[in-house]
Amino acid sequence: MRKISFINAQNTAIIIFFIGVYGLCARRNIIKTIISLGIMGGGVILFFLSVNRTAQSMPPIFTEEVAVAADPLPQALVITAIVVGISVTAVALVMFIAMYHKFGTTNWLKAMKHRKDIGI
Amino acid sequence: MILYALILVPIIAGALIYLIKNRGVLWFAFFLQAALLGLSVYNFVIVQLHGPYDIVLGNFSAIAGITLRCDTFSAALALLTVFIYFVCFLFGILEKFMNNLFIFFFLTLQALIIAIFLSRDLFNVYVLTEVSTIIVSVLIMYKKDSSSLYDGMIYLITNIAAMTFFLFGIGFIYRLFGTLNMDLITSKMYKVQDVKALALPFAFLITGVGLKCAFLPLFSWLPKAHATTSAPSIVSVILSALYVKSGIFHFIKLREMFMPAINLDEIFLIIGVATGIVGFILAMSQKDIKLILAYHTISQLGLVLVGVASGSQFSYFGGILHLFNHAIFKSLLFLAAGIITDKYGERNIHKIRGVFKKMPYVSIMMIAAMLGITGAPLFNGSVSKFMIESGVHGRVLEYEVILINLGTIISFIKLSYIFGGGKGESRIYVDMWKKASVTIMGIMCLAMGFAGPLFISSIFNYRIDFSITEYLKNMIIFFVSLGGGWLLYHKYLSKTKFIKNGFALELGINGIAMSMTAFFAFLVAAVYLFA
Repeated sequence: MRKISFINAQNTAIIIFFIGVYGLCARRNIIKTIISLGIMGGGVILFFLSVNRTAQSMPPIFTEEVAVAADPLPQALVITAIVVGISVTAVALVMFIAMYHKFGTTNWLKAMKHRKDIGI
Repeated sequence: MILYALILVPIIAGALIYLIKNRGVLWFAFFLQAALLGLSVYNFVIVQLHGPYDIVLGNFSAIAGITLRCDTFSAALALLTVFIYFVCFLFGILEKFMNNLFIFFFLTLQALIIAIFLSRDLFNVYVLTEVSTIIVSVLIMYKKDSSSLYDGMIYLITNIAAMTFFLFGIGFIYRLFGTLNMDLITSKMYKVQDVKALALPFAFLITGVGLKCAFLPLFSWLPKAHATTSAPSIVSVILSALYVKSGIFHFIKLREMFMPAINLDEIFLIIGVATGIVGFILAMSQKDIKLILAYHTISQLGLVLVGVASGSQFSYFGGILHLFNHAIFKSLLFLAAGIITDKYGERNIHKIRGVFKKMPYVSIMMIAAMLGITGAPLFNGSVSKFMIESGVHGRVLEYEVILINLGTIISFIKLSYIFGGGKGESRIYVDMWKKASVTIMGIMCLAMGFAGPLFISSIFNYRIDFSITEYLKNMIIFFVSLGGGWLLYHKYLSKTKFIKNGFALELGINGIAMSMTAFFAFLVAAVYLFA
């Protein structure tokens, strides 16, 4: 049983987050970097949803039993975090398109080499 | 009401200016800045007289609502923001790049920076920082030339990754404390029994903020972003003088928040000294005038960190005073560098010569800023550096601070060669608005030298005993390091390959992400071992 209790939303969130971090550290494709940021964001969202939540808790809407209500604040925060995440991803992708038109590559290393050739 | 006005007026005005599309609105924006300057001075005076006050948005309780807190430190930083924006508008009032789109971004960034300084809600800080990150990266790649697209992209990705770390930290904090208000968390912090439960949130939050403050392994994004070729020089001013301060401000606040449970000042000191030293070593080897200034931002931030984390109250206030002083002389340096690079069409300091003959007035002001940053007597930098030094008197740290200052002096000796030479060349016309803006900053450099201790004691209500004999001793140290630095540069350093050819330590995105993860792991380990 102890092994199963280890698999909860919180630990899963941490693992997902660090999968994203691994993607940032190890992938050289710019698109994959942006996807990795999305994965990191996904981990954080899962974590927020699992905060102060038990299996019995209910949404705190139209119920008399306030005692088992889920904490609404993290969910409000998560909505904001999702919106921010979407807009950030959109901006990053647009910037990537602009960069691709100039550099003609999706590879960070090639882009960096190109950048060095330009100089300041 | 004043706080709402300070935050909302720039955003609304920016949106209106974007819609109107008329050159005349630039004057409107300028007078708006003047009005905001008056308002923020008024706010500062009110906070001085009546003490700090809170506003909770939407009249919720402080536990659930978003709190804006205006104490003297925040009010002073808001005043600094508006003041530097005012000078920037003065500087660029005749420029072509000040079109309605640029002003929209520029004013929105102002509102966000002020809001970051006033906000005491962790999640609010996250959202504001994330939005300002997007705006800054748009400003960095404003003209869309190839080099700045890469720099802006690196800036965007690294800073967003850092803010995701920060957000994860916020999640942990909320789970532990049930609130996001920093003041409430501080009051609950001493109840924490198991410090190891704080290891993850601490490491997540400090990694996120540490990248914003460009601490040692995490600074690689900063120089290129701050010295961007694509954006006008006033963007560099805002980034280097103001925007990094939002990071260091929240670092100071987070450090205080965790203080009852986690005290890692010794480690922060090591990071600070290393940041200072690496910053000036890299600055020394640059050829590009703006890159030198950008690397110096890193070095001076290291110095601020040393002051804040040294454990002595005198140094702490010195560090905070240095934060203000750095904003003033760095913005003057960037403004002057902007004029020089515009007129010469050249950024390589080995090719720029005869600035003093061509632009004597701007040169004098730039020299004032250089005296400020190197800590020359009577100028603003000397007071804050003196306070940092005398707080750590007798410790090894004092010599490290002197070493960082020596490095600063050497790299500014290298930069000062642009003034010489250029025989028989005629003067270049610099318009009066630019002259006015550099004059205001130059006067501030000198004025803060005299008013600095008064300023900091009025902010923190802390009486500063300023011993004149110690200050004189400090003057002697300055002149010795000036002479020593000059000799060292001439006899030895100027002939080395390192200085001649330049040296760039540049990490790609993978390297930065790696160093971020390493920094994070290091902090977790440090909490487990030392706290």
